[in-house]
Amino acid sequence: MKNEPTIIAFCCHYCAFTAADLAGTMRKQYPTNIRIVRIPCTGKVSENMVLQAFVEGADGVMVAGCEIGSCHFIQGNVRAVKRVAHAKKLLEETGVNPDRLEFYHVAASQGPLFATTSAEFTERIKQLNAGGKASADTTSAETPQETVHDSSRT
Amino acid sequence: MIVAERKLFDDLYAKASKHKKVLLLGCGTCVTVCMAGGEKEVDILDSQLKLASRERGDDFEVTTHTIVRQCDDEFFDEETSRKIAAADAVITLACGVGVQFCSEKYPEKRVYAGVNTVFYGATVEQGLWEERCAGCGECIVDQFAGICPVARCAKSLMNGPCGGSSNGKCEVDKETDCAWALIVKRMKELGTLEELSEITLPKDWSTSRDGGPRRIVHESLRLDEGTKKEG
Amino acid sequence: MPVLTIDGQTVEVEKGKTLLDAAKELNIEIPTLCHHWAVPEAGACRICVVEIKAGGRPGLVPACSYPAEDGLVIETYSDRVVQSRRMTLALMINRAPRAGVIMELAEQYQLPSIPLKSPPHSTSDGHTPEDTAEPCDTDLCIMCGLCVRVCREVIGPEATCFSGRGIEREIATPYKQLSDVCIGCGACAFVCPTGAIDPAQFSPNPLASIPHEFNAQLGDRRPIHIPYAQAVPLVPVIDTENCIHFQTDGCGACSKICPANAIDYEIKDREQDLNVGAIVLTGGFDAFDAARKSEYGFGRYPNVLTAMQFERILSASGPTEGHLARPSDHKKPNRIAWIQCVGSRDAACGNTYCSSVCCMYATKEAIVAKEHEADVEATIFYIDLRAFGKGFESFYNRAKEEHSVRYVRSQVSSIKETPAGNNLILRYVAEGNSKGLVEEEFDMVVLSVGLEAQATTAEMAAIAGVNCNQFGFAESQPFLQPLSNREGVFLSGAVSGPKDIPETVMQSSAAAAKVGELLAPVRGTEVKVSEYPPERDVTGEEPRIGVFVCHCGINISSVVNVTEVSEYIRSLPNVVYTEHTIFTCSQDTQERMKEVIKEHNLNRVIVASCTPRTHEPLFQETMRQAGLNKCLFEMADIREQCSWVHKDNPVAATAKAKDLVRGSVGKSRLLEPIQFRKVGVTKAALVVGGGISGMTAALALGKQGFKVCLVEKTGELGGNLRTLKTSMEGYDWQEFLKETIEQVKAQPEIDIVLNSEIDEVTGFVGNFTTKLKGESTAEFKHGVILLATGADEYQPQAFEYGQSDRVVTQRELAAERIDDNYDGKTVVMIQCVGSRDKEHPYCSRVCCGTAVKNALDIKTRHPSANVYILYREIRTYEFKELYYRKARELGVKFIHFPDEAYPNVSGNGSGMLVTVRDTVLDRDIDLKADLVVLSAGIIPNTVSNRRLSEMMKAALNEDNFFMEAHVKLRPVDFANEGIFVCGLAHSPKYTEENVTQALAAAGRAAVILSKEALEVGGVVSHVDPDKCATCLTCVRECIYEAPFVNADGKAEIEEAKCQGCGNCAAACPAEAIQLRTFTDRQERALFMSMLREEVPAGVGPE
Repeated sequence: MKNEPTIIAFCCHYCAFTAADLAGTMRKQYPTNIRIVRIPCTGKVSENMVLQAFVEGADGVMVAGCEIGSCHFIQGNVRAVKRVAHAKKLLEETGVNPDRLEFYHVAASQGPLFATTSAEFTERIKQLNAGGKASADTTSAETPQETVHDSSRT
Repeated sequence: MIVAERKLFDDLYAKASKHKKVLLLGCGTCVTVCMAGGEKEVDILDSQLKLASRERGDDFEVTTHTIVRQCDDEFFDEETSRKIAAADAVITLACGVGVQFCSEKYPEKRVYAGVNTVFYGATVEQGLWEERCAGCGECIVDQFAGICPVARCAKSLMNGPCGGSSNGKCEVDKETDCAWALIVKRMKELGTLEELSEITLPKDWSTSRDGGPRRIVHESLRLDEGTKKEG
Repeated sequence: MPVLTIDGQTVEVEKGKTLLDAAKELNIEIPTLCHHWAVPEAGACRICVVEIKAGGRPGLVPACSYPAEDGLVIETYSDRVVQSRRMTLALMINRAPRAGVIMELAEQYQLPSIPLKSPPHSTSDGHTPEDTAEPCDTDLCIMCGLCVRVCREVIGPEATCFSGRGIEREIATPYKQLSDVCIGCGACAFVCPTGAIDPAQFSPNPLASIPHEFNAQLGDRRPIHIPYAQAVPLVPVIDTENCIHFQTDGCGACSKICPANAIDYEIKDREQDLNVGAIVLTGGFDAFDAARKSEYGFGRYPNVLTAMQFERILSASGPTEGHLARPSDHKKPNRIAWIQCVGSRDAACGNTYCSSVCCMYATKEAIVAKEHEADVEATIFYIDLRAFGKGFESFYNRAKEEHSVRYVRSQVSSIKETPAGNNLILRYVAEGNSKGLVEEEFDMVVLSVGLEAQATTAEMAAIAGVNCNQFGFAESQPFLQPLSNREGVFLSGAVSGPKDIPETVMQSSAAAAKVGELLAPVRGTEVKVSEYPPERDVTGEEPRIGVFVCHCGINISSVVNVTEVSEYIRSLPNVVYTEHTIFTCSQDTQERMKEVIKEHNLNRVIVASCTPRTHEPLFQETMRQAGLNKCLFEMADIREQCSWVHKDNPVAATAKAKDLVRGSVGKSRLLEPIQFRKVGVTKAALVVGGGISGMTAALALGKQGFKVCLVEKTGELGGNLRTLKTSMEGYDWQEFLKETIEQVKAQPEIDIVLNSEIDEVTGFVGNFTTKLKGESTAEFKHGVILLATGADEYQPQAFEYGQSDRVVTQRELAAERIDDNYDGKTVVMIQCVGSRDKEHPYCSRVCCGTAVKNALDIKTRHPSANVYILYREIRTYEFKELYYRKARELGVKFIHFPDEAYPNVSGNGSGMLVTVRDTVLDRDIDLKADLVVLSAGIIPNTVSNRRLSEMMKAALNEDNFFMEAHVKLRPVDFANEGIFVCGLAHSPKYTEENVTQALAAAGRAAVILSKEALEVGGVVSHVDPDKCATCLTCVRECIYEAPFVNADGKAEIEEAKCQGCGNCAAACPAEAIQLRTFTDRQERALFMSMLREEVPAGVGPE
């Protein structure tokens, strides 16, 4: 594995992407490994979009959206949390450590949180690349109990 | 519709990794609706196989294709045939019908089932499917207020519940409604409960599975030899 | 231009550049100390020395000042260079043994620890006379002179210089005295590489610390500053009162160093005359000055904060970046107390009204504090907990039950600081009188300051000819909150009284509706429409991409090598033009961009600069002016996502910038033009419900010239208001109702349909069709729907109600019994009947005020009557508090009973016996009552609400009231566009609030109805019918009801309803749905191109 991992961050336009902007405005430094892909809502991120990022060579994928209750599209983030949980399971089946994927809630005003989250996630991926076992940190989203088709239930 | 669920990934990987080039063939009808074998599931499996082969150091190529239905000849068009020909093996994500149809059509090709075909059922709510029909060949649902004891009673009982029915649930699975509890409730509401006092005679199971594979022939629909198109 | 070689790499630089500039072009790092880009070079510190190997006189030269001459061959890390830097550092360490930056460099250059040859300098020998200036800490100073140069050559006054000889040499003011010429600008301290300078030691008038206004005075700011991180536009402002230039005519550093020359000190405030048809006053409020309540020690005790300050402490962009820390020691406070009603409900400070919002913001702050630090113990000291708004009661309950916030019903009488540790001791009377006066220690105290009229409101009101009330708030007209006493001048928000966000937004939309009525005849006459050249059809063309890489002054180029990025991008497929510009967003670059598009026949444009959130519209406008579809534009953010967040890593940042732009190239190749479609609007409204809310909304729309169909299920207009006589303030509701009904009947645009209900609604925003049932079965086409279906009074199930005619509800009292003779009689009122209980967990908001009003009615007319109000909390917010106070003064007796112990009512001969547990006396009291009045709550029309909810896909909340799109910011909208809610159907509220909300709904509806056509399309989902399996997943997933199954049996997206979230696309099992400009192929091309070191062919244009 490469020394410097590449991380794709799917960020929703209204919260996480805005927070990333704010991190910039506040000059909050974080590792250069993060590559942001802007999406209108985390509800736009399908399981396969995440898997494809790994296929294309991403070492980690973070999906970052609004806090529960503040989604611009009312519940897109709730759907996304479930889809990410499902995608983690799909990853695990292939032998890719599911800790390489995480959902984060970052509100538009939380520029510093975006920076620290990015730094923590990068550190996690670096450890995984080095062969270490990363334990899911406390800032990660709660992963709901999974049933086979849970991700498609509304 | 036919409801299926995808086979375990490790099974599919074991099959795929035996070949150099594998085609994942999706089906755009029932298994798309029940989220087991449509284009999205095909793409997910494609990504998964690619990731796993990288993790495990195997080297095989995966391609994908999805057609409208795998239970009709014409949908296996030229492009599909070309893609199948180019692969060493096919994993089809269609139901058991599609797997067989595909195997029959390409007898020289190794065809694997990608999903387990589970039942005929309905979408109760998004992400939740339930069995509603057993395909017994003689429909008696209307005698039971629209609730089929053949498909929905674990024992296919015809004359009331067994002793395992408790609080409206089945003894086989506490999550499952006792079909007979539902039947009685609905017939009470309809005011037709009286009808249950008639004994239902043993069902004619000859229409069901015991006679081997069944067929239906519509002579009026069949084309004459001369007018048949080449498939 | 000179070409030279540095560390084996060749670089071409502009004439006049230095070796340091040239090295930067190559991302080669050279350490500097005495170099600052804004200050002329001196080459003083010698840390930046590099070695000339060939092409010039061989030897060591300072990179910062040596010109980049043609043919030079330079090494920046040769043995000789390293040796020289080590020597320099060794000397510096001796000179400045405490300078951190030197220590770091020494470590980097593996300097062996060198024994100090001389003892450290000492700044104080104990004999310094008082006026002696010691501006420079000599243990930190490396004598580079950068401070001297910035003062002399950039700022100008020459306030500092070198003085002394040999080891005595130091930075000082002349004669080591405070300087007369120093202007206190602080530039010397700003540029000093080791932090040696204290500018306060230079001048008798040092640069004062300016408290940070946005952080509620926590921390400080500069005279030139960006007010807050989310400011729009995000540019600095100069505070002229504190700016050295404006005060002394000196300095001017900012104008000298701004690379965009954006700073112009000559810009003056301008007076402008505007001709307008209406004015809306939206002045807002001031927070109460906590120092006025001296018993709480604000300003004396560092750990007593206002709620605004605490809000900033909790904020991620605040002074502590969201870390819960108290000011005195920056440690986490474990025990935090909130004190309510600071500057509210308080005659001592003149504010006898209730500020309406503090109970809930304190509750919110307590929860957020606990979310930050789970072990925080939060205690709220309050008088009445006023959780009267929609959803507030359940929020309050969650605070108590889930977050263990402790609520203490007591007023804190004083706060003392502990002698050590800055903790605070609160003295208060514990409830129930059993514990008496107690003292409790806290780590931090938050004062829930009230809302006061803004200092400027009086002046503004005088100019506008608007009356203010006794507290200085602008006075609303009876019944109509957005109206002032002067026609054409309207009020919105806290300018007319303390209120929460939803009430503010409602009043604002209501004011907009009233303005609309006034200005409807001239609507659209001042609008200027932009003209664009016809759009060039690019279908079938191979992508021809032009990329503009922005320096953003030095914002990007100081970190990212933009030249390198620009050249790299030129090598990518389909890229036919690249350039790098200082400011891509400048007007002249926009003009050039248009020319370049034509000249190079571009059909895609990428700008690599800042965030698309602020600048995409500007560039898209340029696209349209150049005849290109705006959706053929793509942006890569190499500022917020790159240069600003990777300042210390220019090499990696440049590599990342390349990745980001390459991703954009990958996506750009697949971009397609998107056309917007115009859909005509039926300029008519359906208003459901003929109560005061429905009628008010209908009238407001009718007066603007829109057709209205007003549907009422009963045979009469007026709804609940028919049973109310007067408002709390004494205004006659029946008069108002009669007038409204007359106006509605007289309004030619309004079609009143009685005894009818909605049978079926089809269509979408702008184009609905509704079929009625009942007396009328007409079909009606309309553009918007307003739900004003009202609610009912709860029918009490206990307290002998219905058993005895001596037990009535408040409504029955007001309608039928209020004129009885109560002389010498006893009336007992019981609050929260059918509110705040298991069955109806919400607060009905109006019952406290209604009880107080009826009690006052009785007591003023029959002073000998005994009136009791038995309550759990009295929630008379805003100015209704004044009537509560008056009722107490007139002798209405208020008895507080515990939540869990409702009073008991039983028959007692000819009267009633009410037994109540008094929490103050902590025992049961028997009251013999002639009349028991139950303050029955408001309950929703559950059955009809559910039916309408299903029909219109307008959500209901858990209490079966209609649920707005956003409780704070969109209080009358639904997530589904074109449908609005007002009145009691939304939640319980007072009549004048219902009227305001009805006007607000009309105002929001008019936004749609005033348009000739709605623009639909753009970023919306699209179904490929050939792939669609009609699985209904999209239909079920979409909360906006945009997907439907069309006549062909395939899913289709109703573009007018689609909000563009893409959730359906992610869910579709056939991958038949794509979201425009965010298609799977486009997104994949974006991250594939980023991840691979190429723009992959696999996702190229088809």
